[in-house]
Amino acid sequence: MLLEMKDASVNYGKVSAIRNISMSVPEGSVVTIIGANGAGKSTTLRALSGLASLRSGEISFNGKRIDKLAAHRIVGEGIAHVPEGRRIFPDLTVEENLRTGAFLRKDKKGIEADLESCFDHFPRLKERRRQLAKTMSGGEQQMLAIGRALMAKPKLLLMDEPSMGLAPIIVEEIARIIETINAQGITVILVEQNAELALGLATYAYVLETGNLALEGPADELHDNDHVRAAYLGV
Amino acid sequence: MGELLAQTALNALYAASYLSLVAVGLVLIFGVMGVINFAHGELFMLGAYGVVVFYADLQLSFFFAIAIGLVFVGLVGLGMERALFRPLRDNPLGGLVASIGFLMVLQALAAMGFGVRMEHVPPVTQQVISFSDKVHLAVPRLYVIIAAVVLLTALWAFLKKTQFGWALRASAQDPEAAALQGISINQTSRIAMFIGAGLAGVAGALTAPMVSVNPHMGHSVIVAAFIVIIVGGVGSLEGAVVAAVAYSLVHTFVTTFYDGVIADIVGLSLMLVVLIVKPTGLFGTADRA
Repeated sequence: MLLEMKDASVNYGKVSAIRNISMSVPEGSVVTIIGANGAGKSTTLRALSGLASLRSGEISFNGKRIDKLAAHRIVGEGIAHVPEGRRIFPDLTVEENLRTGAFLRKDKKGIEADLESCFDHFPRLKERRRQLAKTMSGGEQQMLAIGRALMAKPKLLLMDEPSMGLAPIIVEEIARIIETINAQGITVILVEQNAELALGLATYAYVLETGNLALEGPADELHDNDHVRAAYLGV
Repeated sequence: MGELLAQTALNALYAASYLSLVAVGLVLIFGVMGVINFAHGELFMLGAYGVVVFYADLQLSFFFAIAIGLVFVGLVGLGMERALFRPLRDNPLGGLVASIGFLMVLQALAAMGFGVRMEHVPPVTQQVISFSDKVHLAVPRLYVIIAAVVLLTALWAFLKKTQFGWALRASAQDPEAAALQGISINQTSRIAMFIGAGLAGVAGALTAPMVSVNPHMGHSVIVAAFIVIIVGGVGSLEGAVVAAVAYSLVHTFVTTFYDGVIADIVGLSLMLVVLIVKPTGLFGTADRA
């Protein structure tokens, strides 16, 4: 397993956000976490990337415990996080945003090559490379956030609601991008409220309800599950 | 009259130079760490005492004394980051209160070490550049102007052209997102604190021969610097420089043609007007305010 989370619980102050969540993510897969607003999906990702600390439980990545590491160290282990709401740096240019993604890398040639391949993937970013990031549209900002995360050369990419607030045609483009990223061998954990999209992309899925793991299974099985259909697919 | 105006403008340029150095450091520290450093005027004061010790007393070279001031005051800044601001990171009000406490500690230490009387720093040089019979610029003042231009340009290049400069700006804009890129907030805080404190120290050291050096000299500087960063827009480095120039022009002209107390009143009134007309300051944006 590339990533293993065991009985993880996170509190915000006295309020419990997730309780005893366990999940396993095999290398090369796309795994999704679906659930309603406030179910603990983002908190789970924040625990993985070190933004939230565990009250109990453990996380190991590539066989190494990472749950005590600070967020800025976890990137170096090979986990990049595209946070909820994109969180690009508004007053840096597009290119500067992308280069911050490679902050820990020392291979100058590799960084330049990855910057070029990022511009190949996202031609819009190349056109706007000298523009301040805040001047771009929501879809472009989402692509910038994804590009920035890829510049870290991650083994595992955490994506929090990449479809949020975007027009359907852009959502389709994001879905295609996620497939491309995965085809390059990068493992993806995708958090989505858009369950239809998420289950279509993922091989395995976890369903969170009010901080608890309610259901898990292969994505196509969950897609046909009566409870999931009623609660998340609206059919 | 024209000559008086020209002379006053030169005086204002000198005042704007050291004020920019102080205010930009204050803005940098606020931007990266989210804390208002009330002890910033005392870092200015420490830089001036560095010149008293190394230049006036030990008779070392003036520029060596300034270099020591930069490094020593920068290190004091690092100590403040570690001992005061890091433990209080999630508590911006706590950081502010701690810096007020530290301000008093520094003033008391200076008074214990040097006494409260004014220290006299001998002039570095008597040279004066004369533009006409009545328009002069003393060379020590020219040093301050040159230092401000050089240091602020270097800071600008550092922030725009180097990887750590990007990291600093990124963590000022969104510390959590910066951490996700591998940027350590402890590291960027140390850099911001060293640079910010060092600039205040240099400003104090450079102006020491022209002002009265005493333990409370930071007070007037910090008041002017606060007005400048509020007018410029808290968090905006460019705003701080522009506002420092504007404030110094107004303050110096009013001092010359009326008097210093009126000038202080006018300065504060200008700040109030800016706050009423544009509450985020001239260069500030709403999300930073």
